Amino acid sequence: MEFENLPINRKDSIPVARMVDEMTDDLELDVMGGYQGMGRSVLTADINRPGLALSGYLDYFASDRIQILGNTEIHFMERLSTSELGRRLERMFSFEIPAFLLSRNLKPSKMFLDMCNRRGIPVLQSRRSTDEVISRVILFLADEFSPETMIHGTAIECYGVGCLIVGLPGIGKSETALELVERGHRLVADDMVTLRRRREDSLYAEATPVIEHHMEIRGVGIIDIKSVFGVGRVRNTKQIGLVMQLEEWNQETQYDRTGLSEEYATILGVRIPFLLLPVRPGRNIAVIMEVAALNHRLKELGIHPAQRLNERLITMMNEGNA
Amino acid sequence: MGEVTEEIVVVNTLGLHARPAAAMVNTVLPFKSDVHINVNGHQVNAKSIMGLLTLAAAQGTVMTVTCKGEDAEEAIEAVRKLVESGFGEE
Repeated sequence: MEFENLPINRKDSIPVARMVDEMTDDLELDVMGGYQGMGRSVLTADINRPGLALSGYLDYFASDRIQILGNTEIHFMERLSTSELGRRLERMFSFEIPAFLLSRNLKPSKMFLDMCNRRGIPVLQSRRSTDEVISRVILFLADEFSPETMIHGTAIECYGVGCLIVGLPGIGKSETALELVERGHRLVADDMVTLRRRREDSLYAEATPVIEHHMEIRGVGIIDIKSVFGVGRVRNTKQIGLVMQLEEWNQETQYDRTGLSEEYATILGVRIPFLLLPVRPGRNIAVIMEVAALNHRLKELGIHPAQRLNERLITMMNEGNA
Repeated sequence: MGEVTEEIVVVNTLGLHARPAAAMVNTVLPFKSDVHINVNGHQVNAKSIMGLLTLAAAQGTVMTVTCKGEDAEEAIEAVRKLVESGFGEE
């Protein structure tokens, strides 16, 4: 299975307006000024507290980030004389700044607001505390800038393990998923799965907006898992812990017989344990996947049945020779 | 192995909804070629109904159709005919 050539979507920038739209409820945001600059771009998933910049030190000023103004910055500005503040802001504003965000319902001085209005730099205000604002903005931006792709496959949570099932059309991914749902597991997405890398090393499967938890079963048509089985059998997103590829049983392929060697699939740069499962009449794939998921959990707990068996065997043989 | 790419415009009023998607799948399924449709950088396999539905290709949408395989020419011809006939709809 090719995971290297997946088309990767990754935003280079997001407009301030999008951040405001998405975070209005979360941060209880108000826009206080600089409306004409709502199209300005945020380029990195990071924030800056411009204390040093306000004090006049502009080398290394991280101007391309959302500038968070908390108690410190606001009170520092209040201490400055109007003419001095004007000069410093003037120098700061020679950089391209996406937006200012004030925490704790802090009010900017009239001069600051007037200058932002003239320059078209949005001034946002949140009711929340500064650390809360910072962590929420960073989380939101990291999510927005995270790379994502779409893959033909099925994502299902099986005994708490996020499983991504891949394989050629018609191999029985949907049917296997249906049986797993019937057995009490939860569907994330069928056929089209959105995969998103969050942080450096975790991959999340998400339902795709239009189709959500619908599934096409050949001969029956399109069904809605949420309606048929209930809301408890679906979830919208799940971290992927195991990738399983279904393929028709092939005499030439050497399938893993011991489980001693670990194989990995690399998707969006994230390494995830990988199993190749041969499909043949009489092999109940849903049961095999349940066992694979449980075995994966054992391994995560540091219990490796195949290794343990092998170590015991080797010890026994050594003792026999002694 | 041939590979052909063509831009085809959705002409029927309702766009690529469930019924046309099923017609598309049935049209391309007999071909050995891989058929992929790309709309605004979002690419799906034309042999998957759910995949096609995620395109949400309304009337007027330009789809970039790529066929790869020994019968690529015939496959793209069939796809073009189907889409340009409006999937038998208005």
